[in-house]
Amino acid sequence: METIKQSSSKKIKVGIPRALHYFKYFPFWKKLFDELDVEIVLTNPTNKKIVEEGVTHGFGELCLPVKVYYGHALNLINEHPDIDFLFVPRYVAELKESYFCPKWLSLPDVIKILPNCPKLLNFEVNVKEFPISTAVIELGRQLGKGRSKSLDAYKKAQHYYDEYITFLRKGVSVNYALRLVLRDLPFKMPKKKPQKKVKFLILGHAYNLFDRFVNLDFIKKFEDQDIEVITIENMPKWVFKDPVIVNNKLLNYWRHEEEIMQAVRYFLTKGRNEIDGVIFLISFACGPDSLISELIMHDLKTVKIPYLAIIIDEHSGDAGLLTRIQSFTDMIKRKIEREEKLKLEKNINIKTKV
Amino acid sequence: MLCSFPNMGHNWPIFKTLLECVDCEVILPDPTNREAIKIGVKYSPEFVCFPFKAVLGDFKNALDKGADTLVMAIDCGPCRFGFYASVHERLLKEMGYDNFRLIPLDQADLLTFKWVKLLKKVGPTNQLTFAQKAIKAVQFFLKKAKHVEDIQTAEGVFRAYERNQGDTTRVVIKLIKQLDETNTLQGLREFRKVIKDTFNNIDVDKTHNPLRVGLSGEIHISLEPYVNLDLRRKLGEMGVLINQSLSVYDWVVHKFHLNYHRKWLEHLAHPHVPMDIGGECVWVLGEYIDTAQAGFSGFIHSYPFTCMPEVTARTIITNSLQKKYDLPVLYFSFDEQSGQEGFRTRLEAFVDLMTGRRNKKSEDQNLSKEKIDSTLYQHYGNNFYNECLNLIHKK
Repeated sequence: METIKQSSSKKIKVGIPRALHYFKYFPFWKKLFDELDVEIVLTNPTNKKIVEEGVTHGFGELCLPVKVYYGHALNLINEHPDIDFLFVPRYVAELKESYFCPKWLSLPDVIKILPNCPKLLNFEVNVKEFPISTAVIELGRQLGKGRSKSLDAYKKAQHYYDEYITFLRKGVSVNYALRLVLRDLPFKMPKKKPQKKVKFLILGHAYNLFDRFVNLDFIKKFEDQDIEVITIENMPKWVFKDPVIVNNKLLNYWRHEEEIMQAVRYFLTKGRNEIDGVIFLISFACGPDSLISELIMHDLKTVKIPYLAIIIDEHSGDAGLLTRIQSFTDMIKRKIEREEKLKLEKNINIKTKV
Repeated sequence: MLCSFPNMGHNWPIFKTLLECVDCEVILPDPTNREAIKIGVKYSPEFVCFPFKAVLGDFKNALDKGADTLVMAIDCGPCRFGFYASVHERLLKEMGYDNFRLIPLDQADLLTFKWVKLLKKVGPTNQLTFAQKAIKAVQFFLKKAKHVEDIQTAEGVFRAYERNQGDTTRVVIKLIKQLDETNTLQGLREFRKVIKDTFNNIDVDKTHNPLRVGLSGEIHISLEPYVNLDLRRKLGEMGVLINQSLSVYDWVVHKFHLNYHRKWLEHLAHPHVPMDIGGECVWVLGEYIDTAQAGFSGFIHSYPFTCMPEVTARTIITNSLQKKYDLPVLYFSFDEQSGQEGFRTRLEAFVDLMTGRRNKKSEDQNLSKEKIDSTLYQHYGNNFYNECLNLIHKK
């Protein structure tokens, strides 16, 4: 691939769609590109126009996040014709013995055939075959940077990303942390909110949970109901240490699903009393989740933790979603109240007996 | 011990041989039917891919018939197939079947020889005779698989020319039965000739000039006639010549890293998808390009609804390859809701379209239809495919 000679005044511009991997790896990319003297052009947060464009381009059976990704990519191509590269990474395997969803593996291949698509930056994370640093050197080469500079950038980016992850583990919402990253602010804890009575675990892929347009501001709806919400990003590191054994025949090779299962395992065993309910947000036609949600549902049923699966697609209506959430939370609140009442009565009974 | 395995079209004799050669009794589930699918749909997760549901139905049927050991292929690729065996086991246990075991047949890479474990588990306890029996099992398995592939190839060719509709179907059923009963090495060696002779007896209309269509897609959907609404037969009875290189033999040889046809397809698809992303995505793309270059009239891609790799293949074919190679393509995504009539209408329309295109081409270039067909790439397809074509033209 030919390299671009960089003039001292003008920085190379790289377009990044604000969808899919963005919600998971953006801090890493941001630091990496900053170190490589590259200007990042981000698309706007998802809006109606982007979704519509994506849905028109992608055909029916694709899942919503990929359609939204199409929308963002098209948006970048049409509205920023001055970008030199489009950054569509290929994430194959982050750990050995693991994979990402097939649609992630082939993402650059389906994006590069869009009309008028600028050159894609080749960045392949495939730990099965070569370490990430090799991929970063390759990335630097395409941007006209030397080996040592790329490696240096990689080291700094990885350090920054680790910091970001530890910051999330303290219980900060991803959207808040991403805002800090975007504005180049240091990681500072937000004001502590008062502890709430009911606590839910929200499962799902980052690109579903934190894209506030796609999921119709899902998390805010819970906060409005006076409910504390945690996501798997907020859980301590040791939870994700051991692989989940579903069955001795099964090697769970999907990275994200593995994380979800590990989080659920924690609440099935040690943290059983820490949460009052589990909600799984699934996008329609998501392959991995269709099987995983089934496994999780059966497990949660056996330990009697309430579980709600919500499936979204581009036709999801706000009112319907709100009704489901409200009925679920009302049910759980009532359950908690009843349990407290029973406890009180028991105490009174004991006292009267004494 | 009574062993069983799920249905996949005409491929039951090969798996049966594999298990019977190591002294294992085999019980076959009923051919996939409405009841089995219904049960599969009832107990499976809602939007899992269709083969999962069909296989679950087959397993239940087999267990009801008295089987106590189920054999299921597993994989650890990026697509959903790797989860099948373990989730099936779990669902069957929840349905109330406790007394069975599900033995995985590891086929991620056959050169690691993990599949020997399967044979050991179901095979004889006497280790002395095991090696001999296992070798025989593998030998018979490969030979029978090759013959099933040959029958499939010949079926695709001869049905397009047959005079009495239904002859080929009858011959295929007869041959599969005969193959199942042939259990000597000598018999298997001569079986290729048997296939040729039997097909040669079909009354064919040599003057017919069929359209040629390439078939590909997800393996279970492509091979199981109940699930794909008997696509091959319906297409053949409209007088269309079919070539489908996809078969169990093709897959197994690929897993032994010896399938040069697939390597060629990978080479063709490399600029579009540079790696195996699960399913048959890479090979479908390769097959599309290959059939387009060979001068075929059309291509049919069938896959289960929401299958992740195949959906990617479809996206790439519609958005890029179709413009480049200009080969008409028809997609069928199958699930439990597939209806016969709509399916038939689409097929008929597709065949009409291909006929129209060919007529227009012959008008434009002032060539006869025979001439256009003679411009086809001559060395397309495997040996047996070309032998079948020769058989017909010699008549």
